Amino acid sequence: MDSRSINLRGFAGNAGKNIMQGIGGFVFGNERSESKEDSYVERFLDRISNGTISDDRRSAMTELQSLVAESRSAQMSFGAMGFPVLLNVLKEDREDVELVRGALETFVSALTPIETSQGPKTEVQPASVNSDLLSRETENISLLLSLLSEEDFYVRYYTIQLLTALLTNSLKRLQEAILLIPRGITVLMDMLMDREVIRNEALLLLTYLTRDAEEIQKIVVFEGVFEKIFSIIREEGYSDGGVVVQMLLKETIGFDPLIAILKIRRGSAFNFTQQKTVNLLGALDTVELLLMGGGSSGEPGKDANKTTNQTALAQKNILDHLLLLGVESQWAPVALRCMALRCIGNLVLRNPQNLDSLASKQVGEDPHVQPALSAIFSIILRTSLAQEFVAADYVFKCFCEKNPGGQALLASTIAPHPNQAHATFGATTDMPFGSILLQALVSSDDNGDMEACCRASSVLSHIIKDNLQCKDRVLQIQLETPAPSLGRTEPLLHRIVTCLSIAASAEGENGQSGQPEESYIQPVILRLLIVWLVDCANAVDCLLESAVHLNYIIELASSKRYSACVRGLAAVVLGACVLYNASREKGRDAFAVADAISQKIGLSTYFLRFDELRKRFAHSSSGQQNRKQLSRSSANSMSDFQEIEEEEINKGDQHPVLSEIFDSHFVSFLSKLETDIRDNIMDIFSRTKTATAIIPAELEQKNGEVDGEYIKRLKSFVEKQCNEMQKPSSGRERVQIESLRQELEGATRRIEALRAEHTQIEAEASNQRNLAAKLESDLKSLSDAYNSLEQANFRLDSEVKALRQGGSAPYPDVEAIKAEAKEEAEKESEAELNDLLVCLGQEQSKVEKLSTRLAELGEDVDTLLQGIGDDTALPDDDDDEDEDDE
Amino acid sequence: MSYAYLFKYIIIGDTGVGKSCLLLQFTDKRFQPVHDLTIGVEFGARMITIDNKPIKLQIWDTAGQESFRSITRSYYRGAAGALLVYDITRRETFNHLASWLEDARQHANANMTVMLIGNKCDLSHRRAVSYEEGEQFAKEHGLVFMEASAKTAQNVEEAFIKTAGTIYKKIQDGVFDVSNESYGIKVGYAVPNASGGGAGSSSQGGGCCG
Repeated sequence: MDSRSINLRGFAGNAGKNIMQGIGGFVFGNERSESKEDSYVERFLDRISNGTISDDRRSAMTELQSLVAESRSAQMSFGAMGFPVLLNVLKEDREDVELVRGALETFVSALTPIETSQGPKTEVQPASVNSDLLSRETENISLLLSLLSEEDFYVRYYTIQLLTALLTNSLKRLQEAILLIPRGITVLMDMLMDREVIRNEALLLLTYLTRDAEEIQKIVVFEGVFEKIFSIIREEGYSDGGVVVQMLLKETIGFDPLIAILKIRRGSAFNFTQQKTVNLLGALDTVELLLMGGGSSGEPGKDANKTTNQTALAQKNILDHLLLLGVESQWAPVALRCMALRCIGNLVLRNPQNLDSLASKQVGEDPHVQPALSAIFSIILRTSLAQEFVAADYVFKCFCEKNPGGQALLASTIAPHPNQAHATFGATTDMPFGSILLQALVSSDDNGDMEACCRASSVLSHIIKDNLQCKDRVLQIQLETPAPSLGRTEPLLHRIVTCLSIAASAEGENGQSGQPEESYIQPVILRLLIVWLVDCANAVDCLLESAVHLNYIIELASSKRYSACVRGLAAVVLGACVLYNASREKGRDAFAVADAISQKIGLSTYFLRFDELRKRFAHSSSGQQNRKQLSRSSANSMSDFQEIEEEEINKGDQHPVLSEIFDSHFVSFLSKLETDIRDNIMDIFSRTKTATAIIPAELEQKNGEVDGEYIKRLKSFVEKQCNEMQKPSSGRERVQIESLRQELEGATRRIEALRAEHTQIEAEASNQRNLAAKLESDLKSLSDAYNSLEQANFRLDSEVKALRQGGSAPYPDVEAIKAEAKEEAEKESEAELNDLLVCLGQEQSKVEKLSTRLAELGEDVDTLLQGIGDDTALPDDDDDEDEDDE
Repeated sequence: MSYAYLFKYIIIGDTGVGKSCLLLQFTDKRFQPVHDLTIGVEFGARMITIDNKPIKLQIWDTAGQESFRSITRSYYRGAAGALLVYDITRRETFNHLASWLEDARQHANANMTVMLIGNKCDLSHRRAVSYEEGEQFAKEHGLVFMEASAKTAQNVEEAFIKTAGTIYKKIQDGVFDVSNESYGIKVGYAVPNASGGGAGSSSQGGGCCG
């Protein structure tokens, strides 16, 4: 006990106290309030230090902690007197976990600044004075570090917090102290393997601790901090890791080393060893992680994070490194180039500054300098790997998203090159971007290979997406017809339909040769058409100028020769021709298109195409996930990248280009379009053909309308329509109407049958339910009756007992009375019992009957009767006994 | 470059005994007569082959000055091997060996392999510590012993490789739990069928980020 009885005033005599009091007096001025806090703090400290009852010491600690947490003057008083006492607790009372926790928590409170509104701003924070005091002795830090190996979670947790608090106030001193303690850093590093809460605190602590301290940095590296951090990132699930991963990457590793890894020297012997490739892939992976904002976009916090990272990385000239890797290093492994291209896309996506710098960037060395975007476009045209095409295409997609200025810039150069006729494919560096694009769009080699056209189409669709000006601009482009002798020109849009048909016929041949993979050429061109037609009446008008086009697309949508994807997309093109049709010219207006659809495809078949397409979407989105995982593993694995590449392409039957087209944006865009198209087509038919102007909504059953009425109404509607239709009596219309009527009638019949069935089932079910309820209530009253009977019996019994106890002497005839009463009671109860038995018998037979019926109807009788069983148990037993009596 | 194992070494000993020169000779195969004082810790790495397995040595060269002792101590626990160096021409560096060993005993893991190096053996004309004395000290404390010269490169390779061989043997004998990286041993991704011994060493493939 002696060691603990510390004379507090004795400590007050040391230098610390004098300083503290000096500052305290200066700061607070108010002597009285200070002395009040002072005396409280002193009293608590005395109880902690000299107390013998553990509970009292603990409660004193709790009170001290809350006082220190609330008041600055208490913080000051605690700083002046409390440190030795509490440090002593930490040293000597380790077994009293609660007290140690309290002491640590008190320290944390004493080091946490308390904001006050009053007082001058220059005022010294007691928290920082305390922090200075605590960090002055290396021994204290050593003591705290030793607490990190304690069993108790909260002890470790508060200790880490305390160290962090010390760090914010006295960084240099703590850094020095920790270096002086053998294994000081090692202990902190071990905390990275602790439970998540502590691990995260320790991460923050180490992050601050390593700031501007080279020796500490070296030790943490020696202790394998990078391995540990990467393993945490792995644990946190990479991009799903959110805040922790973001923090790790940004705060701990920092952008500079990341970019240092990405720097490769131009012209040096580009020697991409496996290890180097793995490193670069890892770095690019990390960059992508930073640019994706740790998850899907949409959450405001993450988007802000993303933008910050985009800007920060761009300031470090990452674009140059990425371009060098993705565009100029054609000898680098393809996985690396693709990853770099994706990073370029993510770097510029929706970031005005970065978009501008990509637009103005030049690549290559004199004299072969060309704009970066042109160079990326050349990759699209040149590459033999679908994977690389997709990655380069992604750059354009990102560049064009929400960037009308950039789209206009690209579109403005699209014009036939004066030397187009002579320019050979390949010598294109001096041609403007648009001319190369146009050349690729209309080119087709002798074998009808439309690969170049398809790739250019994909880029063009990004350029005109959601941009009416660009759509109109590109629409005005006139090309010489393939047979120039005719001396005519045709719009670009027409040429693209021609290309589509060439691709289709080439496809047909390939299909017969049994090629397993589904081609992406037609879908990509069809996507261009869809993007173009949407919202653009001029484009629709232009497309419908020639009846051949419409017929061709109808054929695409209807013929079994084409894949579900092509048919579905063709159906969407047709829908767009209806939806965005502003023409009043006969034969080219919305009705004409809708009419052609219903006539040549049939409306139900037509809408079926959308369903098939939707099924493809579901398929392709899962394909996309596959791809992502693979590229993830490729960063870690040492296997040959060429192999990975092939594996990726052959994974499932989904072509990577197709999964790229059907990204989630396009899918949701198509779904919306589909709904509009459905509505619009239905609308057109009802509006133009029925004088009564029944809108499709009337085909639905009204709220509260009885089935019979509904059916009647439908019939009359159909009849009316029939009559209407016979009037104009154009042959093909009649055929169409007939088929429509048949469809309707069929549907009506089906509905009728289903409804009848449904009603019948429902009636039966409710019948059964009622019966069951009645049965239940019957049984309940039965059991009630029995209960009251038993009570009566009991009462009588006790009466008898009482009478017996009352003694037979004063009332000699009590036996007789009792016998009489008993007889009477028995008679009564017998009568009642008989009634009950009759009741019960009836109920039982009812139950049996119902059970069989229910079972017939497929109901689970046991479950139905489950609740009831509890009630029936009692009377049933009784029943048996009574039978025995009889 | 892939490796089967990575070993972390530290080089300790009085200031001026030639620790940094030994490292430079081993990693770069060159000698630099005038070497700046090491501040804190420096670092080097080299691949070697033992038992046909590629092994990466990551060597942390510490400062010998007393003022850096506390920093140096932080490196003991995470090291699989230590080269304890003295200068055969300066007796006091030999006399301090006991205090270095004491430090190591206190802070290092018990299985750390310590190799005693008497450096500067090319300066035999100024010799102040005999070979036998060195050998005797090593024997008493269970260390491997070698005299070497960072200047002529004599025994430099051997010193590092022999230490690695000892560690490798300890792994084969199952002394280390190699899955615990805090002992200064890391299993690489190209684990060539960890033949016998090594506890759980084969399950680590692909786990490293280096």
